Amino acid sequence: MKKFLTMFVLSAFLASTAFAQGAIKIGANWNLADITGNHGSKGAMLAVEEINKAGGVLGKQLQLVIVDDEGKGDKGVAAIEKLVTVDKVDFLIGGMSSAVALAQVPTMKKYQKVVVSTGAASYLVENALGADADWYFHLHPWDYTQGASYLEGWTAIRNKYPNIKIDRMFLAYEEGAFGKSSYDSSKKMFEKDFQFDGESFKSAALGGGDYTAMIEKAKEYKPDIFLWAGYDADALPMLEQAKAMRFSPPLFVGAPPGWPKDFGKSKLADNVTLYGMWAPSINDVNPVSKKFYDAFVAKYKEEPATYFGPLAYSAVYVLAEGIKRAGSLDSTAVIKALEQTKYLSALGETISFSPSNVIKHQGIRNQKILQWQNGRQEVIWPFEVQTRPPVYPFPAWK
Amino acid sequence: MKKPANYIFPLALIFAGGLLPVFLGAYPQAVARSVFTFMALAISWDMLLRSGQISFGIAGFFGLGSYTAIILSVRAGVAPVVAMLSAAAFAALVAFLLGFLVLRLRSTYFSITTLALGEIFKVIIHNWSSFTGGPEGLVLPQVVFGGKSSSLYWLSYAILLFAVGASVLFEKSKMHFSLTAIRNNEIAARTSGINIFANLLIAFTASSLIQGLVGGVHVMSYGFAMPDTAFDANYTLLPLAMALLGGIHSTWGPIIGALLLGVISEYLKLMIPYGHLLVYGLIIILVILFMPRGIYGLIKKERSKRNG
Amino acid sequence: MTVNRKAVPWIILGAAAVVAILAWKPTVLIYGVQRAGLYASVAIPMALVLGIVHIVNLAHGEIMMVSAYLTYNIARSIGLDPWLALLPVALVMGIMGYFIFQLTIRHTLKAPELNQLILTFGIAITMTQAISLIFTPQTRKLPLSYVSMSATIGETSFGVYDFVYVAIALLMGFGIKWFLSNTRMGKAAVAVGQNPRGAAIVGIDVMKTYVFIFTVSVILVGMTGSVFMTRQSIFPYVGSPYTMKSFSLVAMAGIGSISGIIYSSLLLGIAEAAINGIRGASGWSGIVFFLIIIIVIAVRAYKGRKL
Repeated sequence: MKKFLTMFVLSAFLASTAFAQGAIKIGANWNLADITGNHGSKGAMLAVEEINKAGGVLGKQLQLVIVDDEGKGDKGVAAIEKLVTVDKVDFLIGGMSSAVALAQVPTMKKYQKVVVSTGAASYLVENALGADADWYFHLHPWDYTQGASYLEGWTAIRNKYPNIKIDRMFLAYEEGAFGKSSYDSSKKMFEKDFQFDGESFKSAALGGGDYTAMIEKAKEYKPDIFLWAGYDADALPMLEQAKAMRFSPPLFVGAPPGWPKDFGKSKLADNVTLYGMWAPSINDVNPVSKKFYDAFVAKYKEEPATYFGPLAYSAVYVLAEGIKRAGSLDSTAVIKALEQTKYLSALGETISFSPSNVIKHQGIRNQKILQWQNGRQEVIWPFEVQTRPPVYPFPAWK
Repeated sequence: MKKPANYIFPLALIFAGGLLPVFLGAYPQAVARSVFTFMALAISWDMLLRSGQISFGIAGFFGLGSYTAIILSVRAGVAPVVAMLSAAAFAALVAFLLGFLVLRLRSTYFSITTLALGEIFKVIIHNWSSFTGGPEGLVLPQVVFGGKSSSLYWLSYAILLFAVGASVLFEKSKMHFSLTAIRNNEIAARTSGINIFANLLIAFTASSLIQGLVGGVHVMSYGFAMPDTAFDANYTLLPLAMALLGGIHSTWGPIIGALLLGVISEYLKLMIPYGHLLVYGLIIILVILFMPRGIYGLIKKERSKRNG
Repeated sequence: MTVNRKAVPWIILGAAAVVAILAWKPTVLIYGVQRAGLYASVAIPMALVLGIVHIVNLAHGEIMMVSAYLTYNIARSIGLDPWLALLPVALVMGIMGYFIFQLTIRHTLKAPELNQLILTFGIAITMTQAISLIFTPQTRKLPLSYVSMSATIGETSFGVYDFVYVAIALLMGFGIKWFLSNTRMGKAAVAVGQNPRGAAIVGIDVMKTYVFIFTVSVILVGMTGSVFMTRQSIFPYVGSPYTMKSFSLVAMAGIGSISGIIYSSLLLGIAEAAINGIRGASGWSGIVFFLIIIIVIAVRAYKGRKL
C-alpha cells in the first residue's frame, strides 16, 4: 500500500514536469467534458501542430499543456496554479465559462502572465479584472459588445432590405446567467430604437424544456422578430413546440453557443436565423477558415461543432505571431507586440485589440448574423463575409 | 482515559498540515484548499448523520453562507472576517428556525425536505436580482489576503480544524451517546430520558453553521458567487460520497474519504484529460462494493482483529 | 378505489381550482397536465423500486438517458421509428437492469441504505461519462414531424403530442397496480416491500423479487426515455435533473404509493404551469414545486401519520 502511494504521488509530479526543455510553453484550460472545451482544445492542438511543423516560433517549438477546469471555479484556479508554478508555462490561453474566469482572475492577477482568453462573455469578468490588467487579451466578445453588434446588424439589414420589417422584438431567454445577461444587454441596446419585450424560460440543458408558456406570451406580443437566447438542447424542441402552437414570426432567431448535431437536416430548421461567430460556410469566403476546417476534419474525423474550435485555433496563432513580433518571451515586449495584432482569423474577421469599457485589450466585438439555408449556416451579416442573402419571411407552418 | 500516544499522532498531523505551505508550491496548496472545503462539509454532514438523519441540504446552507458573506461585503462593505462569521451565524440561525419544521421528519422525508429547502434558497436568490445580483451573481472587488496562496491555505485549514474540533467535541461529549441512541432506537432513547428534539436541533444547527462558514470562506477566497455555482448539487453529493467512502459516524472517515477522492480526482484529470470522470465513477462503485464500511471502517476492523 | 368521506372537501377544492384556471387561462390546464404526465412517467418506476426494494436509485435519470441514446442510435442507424425501436431497447434495458442489480446493488443490500445511495451515484457518473466518451458531449435530437401535432380550439393552438406522457403514466400506474394486486408475483412483491423477513419466512424468494422489480423498473424508465427522446434533445447530462425531481415526487406521494405519484404530479404540473402563465413570474415556478412538496410532507407529519 505504502509503495503504491509513493508511486502515485511521484508519477503525478513526473507527468507534469517530464516535458521537453527549451520549448515555448502555452498553458490552457477548458471544460473538456463539454463540447465547447472539447473542440476548443482540439482547435488549439491543431494550431500548435501546424506552427511547429512550419518551424515553430523564434526557432523553438510550441508546447501546449492543457488542464481540464471541469467548468468549476476551484478547479479552474488549481489549473492556473499548476500551469504557472508546476509546468512553468510562459503564456496562458483558453477558458469558456464566466464563472470559472471570475474565480481565476485573482490568481491571474497574482502572476500577471500574458493571457489570450477564448471565453468569459460576462461584463463582471471585466469589472473584476480592472483597468490595469494590460496582460489580459480578451478574444471573445463581451455580452454588451455582442448586444451592440446585433443592433448594428439588424439596423444594417433593415436599411439594405426594405422589405424586412423589424420594429417589434421579443427576446426569450433562458433563466440562468447566460440568458439573463443576454436579455439585460439587449434590452439596454434595443429599447431606444425598437419595441422590445421578453420572457424567460427554463432551458432543456438545465432540466427544463417546456417552452409553452413563453411561446404563448411571445405569440400574444406579435413580434416582427423573435429571438431566443438558450442552449443547443433548446433548438429543435422549441421549433417543434412553436410549430405545434402555430407561432411563426417573420424572423425566428436563435442564439445558442452551439447547435445540436444534424440540426440542419431537420425540415423545421430551414430559414431559422442565428447568431454565431463561425460556420463552415465561411470557408467559401475565407481561406484561413477553409484551411482550419479541412485540417480539423482530417485530424479528428468530425466537423467543428461550435465556434470554440476556430476561436481557440485563432488564439494560438494570435499569440504565436505576437511572440514572433516581440522577438522574445518577455511579457512587456509580448504585450506590446500583441497590441499590434492584425490577424486574419478563421472566424472571418481580422482580429485586433482595442479598449472596451474597462480593459485595454478587447479582440472580437461582433457576433455574426447567419441563417440556416438548405442545411447550411449561411452568413447574412456582416455583409463583407456574406455568403447568401437573407430569406424572408420565415415560412409559416404548413 | 487513553494513553498519551493516542494524542501524539493527531497533534503531529495537525502541526504537519499547518506547515505544508512551507514545503509545497502554490498548486498543491490550491488543490488542498478545495479538498479542505469538501472535507469540512463532509465532516459537518457526518455530525448530523450520527443521529440517523441524512441531510441533502449541504449545498443549500453552503450557498446561503456564500451569499450572506458576499452580500454583506458588496452591499454593506463589512470586513471579510465579519462577513465570514456572519455567514456562519446566519446559516445557523436559519437552520435553528427551520429545525422546528424539519426535525420532526425522518429518513427520506427529512432528506427531501432539506434538499427542497436548499432549492428554495436558490430560487429566492436567483430571482431577487436587485439585492443578490440574480443569475449573473456578485463579484467581490478583492479576495482576502490579495489571493496569497499560503494565507488562503491557512484560512481554509483553520476552518477545517474548526470543523474537526466540533466533530471531535461531539464524539467525546454526552452528545455522542444521545445521538447514537437516537440513531439506534428512537423510542428507547426517549424512554431513557434523552431529549430527542433538542439534541437533533443542536446537531442540525451546528452542522449548518459549519456549512455556512465554509461557504462564506469559499466565497471570500474565490471572489464571486452565482446561484448555479454556490448551490451546485456537487456540494451535497461529493461530501456524502467522501464521508461514506472514508467511513461514516466518525471524524476520521470523512477526512480520509475527502483526501482520497479529492486527490484522486485531481490526479486522474492530469493523467486522462478526456474521460477521467469515468474512472472516478468506477472507483466510487468499487470502493462501496469492496469496502462497505468505508476505509476507516476497514482499518478499525483490521485493528480490532490484530488486538484480538 | 373508494372515495372516502375525508376526501370530499379536497375534491371540491380541486374542482374549484380547475374551474378557476379554465376561466383564467385554459391552456394552463393543458400544459400542466402534459407536464404532470412527464413527471409521473419518470417517477413511477422509481416509486416501484423505492417501495419494494427500498433503495434510492440516484442513477434513475441516467438510466433513462442511456435508453434515450440507445433509441436514438437504433432509430438513426437503421431508420426505425423510435416508437418501434422502443421494444428492442426495452429488451436491452432489461438485460442491463438485471446485470446492474446482480453485479452491484445486490451486494449492498445488507449495508446501510446510504451505501446504495452512493453506489448508484457512482453508477450515474459512470453512465454519464461513458455516454459522453462514446457519443461525444454534443447534443442530439431526431427531427420528427409528429411531435408537432397540433389542435386548435377557437383562437388557441396547442401541441397534443405531449399527452403521450399522460397515457404512459396512466398505463404504467394502472398496470403496476393491477400487477401488484392480481398476480402471485405482484402480491409476493408487495409482501416483500412491507416486510422482507416475514415474506422470506412464508417462502417468498426475496432476492428474486428484488431482481425482478428492479429490472422491471429499469425497463419502464427506459421506455419513458425512448419516448422522452422523441420530444427532447439528449446529451449526457440530460437525465440527472429528473432523478431529483422523481425522488421529490416519490417523497411527496408517500413512499410506495403509485396513485399518490399521479396526484402529486398533477398538482405540481398544474401549479408550475400556472406560475409560468403569469407574465414575468416563470422564474419562481421552481419555488412552487419545492414549497408544495415541503407543505405536503410537513402536513402529513403533523397529522401524526406514520411516515
